[in-house]
Amino acid sequence: MQELSIFWLRTAVVLYSLGLAHALITVLRRETTWFRPAFGAFIVAVILHAVSLVERWFAVGHLPAENFFESVSLCAFLMALVYLYVYWRYQFASLAVLAFPLVFIMALLGATEIPVAAWSSPRLRDAWLLLHVALVLLGYAALFLTASASVFYLVEERKLKRKAVGGFNRLPPLGTLDNLINRSMGIGFALLTLAIIAGATWAYIESGTRWIGDAKVAISFATWGLCLVMVFLRTSAGWRGRKAAIMSLAVLGSSALTWVAHVGLRPALMR
Amino acid sequence: MKLSLTGLNHNTAPVEVRERLAFQPALLASAVYELCHTPGVQESVILSTCNRVEIAVTADDSVDVSSTLSDFLARVREVDPQWLRQYLYHHQEKDAIRHLFRVASSLDSMVLGEPQILGQLKDAYEVAKTQGALTGFLDTVMTRAFGVAKRVRSETEIGQNAVSISYAAVELARQIFGSLRGKKVLIIGAGKMSELAARHLERNGVSEIAVTNRSPERAQAMAELFRGRIVDYQNFVSVLPEMDVVIASSGAPHFILTREAMRKVIGARRNRPMFLIDIAVPRNIEPTINELDNVFLYDIDDLRTAVVQNRKGREQEAQAAERIISDEVERTLTRLKAREMGPVIVGLQQQLEAVCSGELERVRSKLGTLTPQQQEAVDALMRGIVNKVAHGPIAELRRQASEPGGHTVIEVIRRVFRIDG
Repeated sequence: MQELSIFWLRTAVVLYSLGLAHALITVLRRETTWFRPAFGAFIVAVILHAVSLVERWFAVGHLPAENFFESVSLCAFLMALVYLYVYWRYQFASLAVLAFPLVFIMALLGATEIPVAAWSSPRLRDAWLLLHVALVLLGYAALFLTASASVFYLVEERKLKRKAVGGFNRLPPLGTLDNLINRSMGIGFALLTLAIIAGATWAYIESGTRWIGDAKVAISFATWGLCLVMVFLRTSAGWRGRKAAIMSLAVLGSSALTWVAHVGLRPALMR
Repeated sequence: MKLSLTGLNHNTAPVEVRERLAFQPALLASAVYELCHTPGVQESVILSTCNRVEIAVTADDSVDVSSTLSDFLARVREVDPQWLRQYLYHHQEKDAIRHLFRVASSLDSMVLGEPQILGQLKDAYEVAKTQGALTGFLDTVMTRAFGVAKRVRSETEIGQNAVSISYAAVELARQIFGSLRGKKVLIIGAGKMSELAARHLERNGVSEIAVTNRSPERAQAMAELFRGRIVDYQNFVSVLPEMDVVIASSGAPHFILTREAMRKVIGARRNRPMFLIDIAVPRNIEPTINELDNVFLYDIDDLRTAVVQNRKGREQEAQAAERIISDEVERTLTRLKAREMGPVIVGLQQQLEAVCSGELERVRSKLGTLTPQQQEAVDALMRGIVNKVAHGPIAELRRQASEPGGHTVIEVIRRVFRIDG
């Protein structure tokens, strides 16, 4: 019975991924034309998710919130419901940028409970890992660009606020910096999201379910979460300027922490 | 032949005098023509702008150029020469070159670094050129002046940064928004200053200029000027969320835009930045609005401070520009002198060779037939004498080329060796 529950959950994850695609497009291209199909898929996914939870409930005989996988799946489901309620009650569609990726990643984690067979070839395994690392590093580069532009923004904004504008100025205008921050942040977020999906599936196939409890893994999810919050605040809540610039510095700091933490991660992943 | 310059500018003459002496464009060509056909004068150029009149000529050494030029100016502009004299300055040679370079580079301008003067000088050059009044020395100096001005502009930052209040506002807007394309402007209070600032903004590509004013007639007039819409004065705050730049110059005795109202506006704009310019006295906009994020409020004093700082920056750059000009003056002088030396050196050699071959001709018959070796020895002897004798004067000429008193030495050598031309 467990397998059936996981099957429904995995199908839901596939549908949730459309929501993620919508969020990425919103961040990168600043257009929301994909919202309708993504939202439709999201509703279907929530129904399948509910089916999965009910199956599991009957199988174990109580509310499935015992281990990590069960609770993360349940949590994702509840968040999806909250989002649907907020959407229905307040017409707050743009919350999707925050909710869709979060629900997707959590449901994805919940769906990794039962280990699958080992790698079909070691070459695929290495390439997959390399892809994950490359995506992470590219994502960090984009976040680094975001943070540097943010520093320039803070300096420039301070100058303009204090009216110390005489003499010669070689910094780009605030508007230009803000555009650069938005663009590089969007790209960085997209790369990190893909990286975390690649990394999670790799670790899942490689080490089954043991990796999930590792603190370093938790740190990287926290970094991604912070990045997600920043993206949401900038694109949907209209944060910009000083506060957003400081936020992007925090994300870069968190990324640096993740990087340091991952230097010693390899042994922990070994079977 | 020497280069001389006579003129007056905003430092030596008040505006009443300058406007009295300025040349009408129609009159300029004939004046240039007349001047370069004055006896003793070879070349002439006249620059006439609202801030200066400059007359430069090359003339024979025998002519008293400074009085010729001031008399000419008095006659052409129909003023009393005696009265005129007190406003004029005269420069010669090196100083005249330096003055022309400084004028071209806008170091002598009322607004340091302003770019129009170079264009005006180029126009003056064109006029003189078409009148055939620029044929040699002065032509070279003028052409070089354009090069110097270009060099000053590219190697220093003298032309950077706004030095007028309305333009400073535009620079600030650019510093905030980057491009002004598609930005919207609201003018509160239709005044001269706000009109000027709006005009600058319009030229930089803003998409809409809306106007609000207590009296609707003035608003109407201004709105027509910018083909913009009129906003109701009582309700202007309601359109603020769509405006990027606000220029306030109304005569209201109290703040017409409060911090509380602005906080709501910026929220409604989802924090897109706004630039508020308050040029009204007493001020229209509550000063603490500047503390809000993403709002930049500048009052008239802030803009003035920016302008003063920009001026100071230009003055610093001017020092660097002066060094470039000194360098260029030296180079130009050396080049011009060297060009003048050329004919003298050639003349000297020809003169000496003529003397030698003349003398040889006289004794040739007494020598009888010479073997080829002997003929060769005689030729070598003569060449040797010419070179040895010419060596001293030529070396001296070359050395004097870069000296200020070079002229007299050239004259002495010309006369001593009977070189004509």
